[in-house]
Amino acid sequence: MSGTGKEQSVGIPPAEQASGARLTTLRILLSNEFGLLVLIVLFAIIFSTISPAFLSKFSLYALGRTSAVNIMIGFSMMVVIITGGLNLSVGSIGVCAAMFGGLLMQAFAMPWPLAVCGGLAMGAALGALNGFIIVRSGLHSFIITLATMSIFFGVMIFLTRAESYRDISPAFTSFGRMKLAGIISPLLLVSVVAGILLSVLFRYTALGREMLATGANERAAELSGIRVHRIITYCHLLSGVLAGVAGLMLVSRTGAAIPSMAGQLGQDWLLPAFLGPVLGGTLLTGGRVSVLGTFLGSFLVTMLTTGLLLMQVGAFWMQTYLGLLLLAAVLIDMVRRSYLTRRKLI
Amino acid sequence: MSIQNAPSETSVFVAEGMTKTFPGVTALEDVRLSLSKGSIHALLGENGAGKSTLIKAITGVHRLDSGRMMLNGQLFEPTDTRDAISRGIGVVHQERNLIPRFSIGENIFLESLNAHPLRRIDYNKLFRDARVWLEMLGVDADPAMPVHRLSVAKTQLVEIAKALSLNSRILLLDEPTAALTPHETDTLFKILRQLRDDGVSLMFVSHKLEEVQEICDRVTVLRDGKNACESQPLEGLDRQAIVRLMIGRNEQIPDWSARDRSTGKALLQLKNVSTSLGHKEIDLSVHKGEIVGLYGLVGAGRSELAKSILGKFQVTGGEVLVNGSRAEIHSVADAVRRYRIGYVSEDRKSEGLVLMHSVLENVGMPIWRRLAGLAHFLTNGKIRKHTEPYIRKLEVRTPSLEQHVGNLSGGNQQKVSVAKWLAAEVQILIIDEPSVGIDIKTKAYLHELIRELSDNGTALLLITSDMPEMITLADHIVVMNDYRIMGEIDNTRDYDTMSERIMTLIQGEELVAAE
Ligand SMILES: Nc1ncnc2c1ncn2[C@@H]1O[C@H](COP(=O)(O)OP(=O)(O)OP(=O)(O)O)[C@@H](O)[C@H]1O
Ligand SMILES: [Mg+2]
Repeated sequence: MSGTGKEQSVGIPPAEQASGARLTTLRILLSNEFGLLVLIVLFAIIFSTISPAFLSKFSLYALGRTSAVNIMIGFSMMVVIITGGLNLSVGSIGVCAAMFGGLLMQAFAMPWPLAVCGGLAMGAALGALNGFIIVRSGLHSFIITLATMSIFFGVMIFLTRAESYRDISPAFTSFGRMKLAGIISPLLLVSVVAGILLSVLFRYTALGREMLATGANERAAELSGIRVHRIITYCHLLSGVLAGVAGLMLVSRTGAAIPSMAGQLGQDWLLPAFLGPVLGGTLLTGGRVSVLGTFLGSFLVTMLTTGLLLMQVGAFWMQTYLGLLLLAAVLIDMVRRSYLTRRKLI
Repeated sequence: MSIQNAPSETSVFVAEGMTKTFPGVTALEDVRLSLSKGSIHALLGENGAGKSTLIKAITGVHRLDSGRMMLNGQLFEPTDTRDAISRGIGVVHQERNLIPRFSIGENIFLESLNAHPLRRIDYNKLFRDARVWLEMLGVDADPAMPVHRLSVAKTQLVEIAKALSLNSRILLLDEPTAALTPHETDTLFKILRQLRDDGVSLMFVSHKLEEVQEICDRVTVLRDGKNACESQPLEGLDRQAIVRLMIGRNEQIPDWSARDRSTGKALLQLKNVSTSLGHKEIDLSVHKGEIVGLYGLVGAGRSELAKSILGKFQVTGGEVLVNGSRAEIHSVADAVRRYRIGYVSEDRKSEGLVLMHSVLENVGMPIWRRLAGLAHFLTNGKIRKHTEPYIRKLEVRTPSLEQHVGNLSGGNQQKVSVAKWLAAEVQILIIDEPSVGIDIKTKAYLHELIRELSDNGTALLLITSDMPEMITLADHIVVMNDYRIMGEIDNTRDYDTMSERIMTLIQGEELVAAE
């Protein structure tokens, strides 16, 4: 008697399941991740036709190695973007962590695993400091991290007297220069592992879900018993750790910890940091994440950079192209979204 | 296809064959409707029947897949909401659409503010004009105050003022009274009758059938997106006939007898509590298995008291005891995790739900930690197991549990917001306006669930402006006014005497104050 309502509640009636499957396929085809994959293949074809060197073993190896770092930088920004904030000090923190790791290896002659832990701890501490100031002051992370970007970098330059640490443990540098199966950099594997761990975090842990809920609606999250301030601090802490990983990856690759490795104030990292998550479909207003999207997004950006370099585009143009790409990505995303809405797919 | 009730000359708006689908859902299917001049037309149906979708189609928010709308004899195809407004159609949507940081005045006149982008805004005039509308609706608030500082009910009234200020010839009201108490509703109805007498065509959506019978003259009922009846005169239809059209059977009226639960252990006690919000001398206790009702007019400070107990606002004096011993609650998380106190918010959109997340994610929120345990590992299956019984019992209508809550109908969102806490297995549950926007069928299920919860030993504090609901559910009723407690009575469950005693308790104070 009351059956009419019940069929529709919760469980999907079989008739709708078929159309549901079709919808799901369509949705996947129109998803960010798939779009990125298509672009990656497309550009790979374009670049390799113009310059066959693009597909050489060394070129592919270098691409993997560089993208590994960019992916990590993208992750670092991503975990803060999901709270609806941002972290302008990713570069600064990354360099600080790298320098600290370098210091431990050179001046204290620590074994490299310990030094790496030290470097990551530095990243975590600086990230946590960001988070702490943000939740305590109630100000937007933009302002706070803009300030700490300068502060962290300034203090680091002062303490290191802007000198590099070049006495890096050979075991550590050989890791960054190793080739697996001839073309794969172990650094890329590090990024893959980080990506898997982040996916697990967001999908299978209470902490990860709380991060997303806090980002999507802080008040609702708070009234559900989530300690929102603590969660935001954790996000910044995690961002610091991931920035530290990226910094240490660079050290392992170049064999030195150099204060200018991310440019003045670490600013060189900002564009890749935003490009990955934004291309990948992580919502800038928070609450939604795509780890795979960030991975692919950062990879695409690195590939474009490498490709353009191969085509001997000047470094200044490179920045312009990347900026245009960011703009194009956002615009394409808008078009895609409105298409999906119009076709009633989301 | 022919129209049965041929539109009479007075029909200002006629629609036929209205069809609208969303992924996995047919919201409207071949719906017909006609609105006549100087009439108040009721639009009824269960949660998710398609009422709001119909209103959104008329006002240009959604575009119909197929169907035809005629306005004053001309084909009407609104391109967007502006277009509908310019054609004389005003609307109060079910969800609030005000700009939180803007003042009341700016919000009311938002449309006309936009008209001349470069002209200076005369704020004095704006606020003066706004005050006229506020006074008419009986809202006591400064037009310069930002909207986010208002209570849910006052926000609703501002939204209504905004729609009225457009002086539309057609006015569509989607559950305007859901968040109002009978007092404000009366004021609103006076205005609506006046508009009707001036020849305006009104459409009124509500789940409170008493209101519908009081003010409407015609009715259209939707069932699963189809017409169950179309623009039929309300005269001659009694309550049960309407209910049958809506849900296909008669309404079940629970016959719960009075009970005394005050002998159990007191789980929540407030002793002489005052708060930073202005509560004074609050004494209150809720026993194991007891439902204590907190009644009061809008602005009495009930939700604010709830949030103070919860640690969201500060308790400045007296003491809060949980389970007999003094509770140290410094944050909501303390209340929820250490003392197992839950709170169903009256404001589902901004406090109760994460609209951009799925149904499953929303209902699981309070229990994630507990389910994840020390291993910190959580799967959807586990959450589903704990929450699905409640989602089923409340008949949440959704194509799947992965659907974003924001895509559900208003009433179904409310069900999710309540189900989330019913599933949380707390020992003390504060429920603030649980049945706002919930249809009568589900309301009965909801009441059963609440009753079951109390039978299982949960202490419940019920805040509701819905007097019948209060008298059905509460064992003991505490009356509040102006951040103080006016008195308490045991519920005999006899509607007439109880409602009278409650109202005297509230008004008693007003008489004294007036002298
Ligand atoms: N934007 C949307 N995306 C997907 N589905 C939607 C959307 N809007 C509405 N629906 C679905 O359309 C159906 C009708 O919804 P509608 O909001 O019109 O119901 P309603 O009659 O107003 O119910 P209520 O009494 O709960 O307000 C519901 O099943 C709802 O889930
Ligand atoms: Mg509705």
